[in-house]
Amino acid sequence: MIIKFLLILKIAWRSIWRNKRRTFISLFSILIATCVPTFFVCIAWGFYAGLVDDVARLMAGHVTYEHVEYRNSPSNDLWVDDIQKINRILNDKDEVLSTKQIVNLQGVAHTAKGAVGVSLMGIEPSKEIEISFLPESIIAGEYLSQGDGRWVIVGTKLAEQLNIKVGKKFVFTTNDINGEMVEDLFRVKGIFETGSKQIDGHFVQSDISFARKIAGLDNNSTSQLGIIVKNSDTHENLLKEWQNKLARNNGVFLSWQQIMPDIATTIRMDRTAVVSFMFMLVVIVLFTMFSTILMSTLERKREFASLLALGTQQIELKLQIFFETFIFGIIACPLGSLLGVGLAKWVEGYDMMNIFEDVNPEDMEIGGFGMDTVITPFFSTSLTLQISISFFCAVLLLSVLPIYLISRISITDELRST
Amino acid sequence: MNTKREITSLHEVVKNYGEGKVVTKALQGISLKILEGDFSVMMGPSGCGKSTLLNIIGGLDRATSGDVKFNDQDFNTLSNKALSMIRRQHIGFVFQNFNLLPVLNAYENAEYVLMLQGVSPTKRREKVMHLFQEMGLDGLENRYPRELSGGQQQRVAIARAVATEPQLVLADEITANVDSKTAQSLLELMAALNKNNNTTFLFSTHDPSVIKFAKKIIILKDGIINSEKASSEEIERFTHK
Repeated sequence: MIIKFLLILKIAWRSIWRNKRRTFISLFSILIATCVPTFFVCIAWGFYAGLVDDVARLMAGHVTYEHVEYRNSPSNDLWVDDIQKINRILNDKDEVLSTKQIVNLQGVAHTAKGAVGVSLMGIEPSKEIEISFLPESIIAGEYLSQGDGRWVIVGTKLAEQLNIKVGKKFVFTTNDINGEMVEDLFRVKGIFETGSKQIDGHFVQSDISFARKIAGLDNNSTSQLGIIVKNSDTHENLLKEWQNKLARNNGVFLSWQQIMPDIATTIRMDRTAVVSFMFMLVVIVLFTMFSTILMSTLERKREFASLLALGTQQIELKLQIFFETFIFGIIACPLGSLLGVGLAKWVEGYDMMNIFEDVNPEDMEIGGFGMDTVITPFFSTSLTLQISISFFCAVLLLSVLPIYLISRISITDELRST
Repeated sequence: MNTKREITSLHEVVKNYGEGKVVTKALQGISLKILEGDFSVMMGPSGCGKSTLLNIIGGLDRATSGDVKFNDQDFNTLSNKALSMIRRQHIGFVFQNFNLLPVLNAYENAEYVLMLQGVSPTKRREKVMHLFQEMGLDGLENRYPRELSGGQQQRVAIARAVATEPQLVLADEITANVDSKTAQSLLELMAALNKNNNTTFLFSTHDPSVIKFAKKIIILKDGIINSEKASSEEIERFTHK
C-alpha cells in the first residue's frame, strides 16, 4: 500500500514539473490569490481592531456596565451603584486589562460667544492616561490630573465655537440625578484634537469627582463602568458570566457592539465588502488555475489510458490528479499567506495620508470616530491559517472536474488516438 | 493430444460500435483459444478488427455478445475493477507507440507494474535488472523515454510487460515504429522469452518478419477468423496492407 502511495506521489510530483513554466505560473497564481487577501485582511482587520480599541478606551470600554435603561435614554438620572465592589472584582480578573468609572452628563456649555450642546465625561485622570489616546491628543495646555476639580479639557472645535483658550472659563448647565437644573463654572486646562468632528466639537472631560459632585452622585455610583479586556475577541463570552455573577438588579453588561452600533454596523459592512472583493478576486485567479489543471489533465488522457491498460486502478489515477493539485496548494497557499503577512509587516507604521494627500483626515471617520491613518496590521495565526486553509481547500476542489473526466476515460478510444 | 493449459477462450464474440442504423460490426462471432506457451500472430487487413480483438482479450473493452474467458473467469461477469486487477496480475501489454510514462526513467517504467503489485524493492530490482541485462538495456536504467531511441523504448515497454511474469502478453503492432533491424531483435527477444520462460504471446501485426517466429497464425478478415493457418499468399497480401 505504501509502495503504491509513494509511486503515485512520485508520478504526481514529476508530472507537475513536466512543464515548468506552466507549473510556475500556476503556483504564482495560487500564491497571489492567497497573498492578496491575507495582506488586505491583515490591514483591514488591523484598522477595525485599532478603531474599536481606540473607541473602547476613549469611551466606555469593550464591555460596559450601565443602567438597564440607559441605552434607550442616556439621561443623567440613570446610574448604577455598588460600583466599587464590582470594579474591584473585575480588576482581579485575568481577562481584564483595566476598568474606567464614568459619569456622563449631557448639558450645554456656554460663553459670551455662544452655547453648544456637549457631553461631559467624568473620568479618573490617572487611569485615563494609561488607557486612552486622548491625553496624547492634547495640543494646548495639559491633560487632567487627580483632584483637578473644575478644570476640564475640551476639543479644538468646541474651543473655537465658544472662543475659549487654555485657562479660560465657560459655564456648564445640566440636570442632576434628581432632575434639578444645575450650573457650574469650568476652566479649560487643555485642548485636544482627535480629528473627529463629533469628539472635537462636543466632548468635555473632567475629573470624575467633580462630575459626581455636579450630578449629585456618591462615590459608589457611576453612569457607566467601562471594562477594557486584554483580548477584545473574547468579550462576548465574558458578558454572560459577568451578567450572571456581578450585575445588580438595575445593571446590565453590554458589548461595544451594543454600545456603539454605528461602528459595529459600519465595520460589518466594510468587512463584507472586503471579503466579497477578495472572493471575486479569488474566483478569477482560481478559474485561471482551474483551466491549467484541466488542460494538463486532458492532454495526458492517452497516458492515463495506457496506465489503466497496465492495471492501474481508476482510484489510483484519481489520487494522482488529486496529489497534483494537493502539491500546488500545499506549496503555494502557505507561501502566499506568509508573503501576505510579510507585506503587511512591511507596511506597518506607514501613514496612509502620504498616499491620499487630497483626503482630509477629518473625513476619515467611521461612526463619528476618526480612523487612525497609520497602518497597524492585525496579525492572527488563526486568521492567517483560516485564509490559507480556505484557499487550499478551494485549490483541492479544482481537481474535482479533472478527476470526474478521468473516471470517464475510454481506454480503447484513447489508445487508438494518435 | 494437446496438453497445454488454456489461458483464454473466446466463444462467438461479437463487437459492434455505434447504435441504431449506424452500427459498425467490428467482430462478428469470433471463437478462439489461446494456450499456454503460444506465440500467436494475428494478421489481417486494416480495420479487420485485430486491435478490437486484442482489446477484448486483454479486458480493455467488452464484447457486445459472446463469452470471453481468462483462466476460466468470465469477463462478462467481472467489474471494471476486477478486469483491471486481472490485467495487473496476469496480462502484459506492449503498444505500438510504446506508451512509456515520460516522467519515469527506463528502470522505473519497467518496475511500474511490479510496484502496483506491491513487490518488494529487492525483488523488483532483481527482476528488472535481470531483464535489462537480458534485453540489452544495461546502462540505460536512468534514462528517460525521451532520451531513448524507438527500439530502446520498445525494449523497455517489453521489459515492463514481462517483468511481472504474466500469463499472456498482448502486443499490438509493436514493430510498426521501429526499423527492421530493431524489429528483428525485438522479435528474437520475445521468442527467447517465450522459449525460456514459456510466456504466451499474442501479436497483431502487418509485419512479415513476425510470421517466421509465429507458432500459430490467425487470419482475421471483416471481423471473423478466416483461418488459423495462413497460406503464403494470404500472408503476402496482408503484410502489404
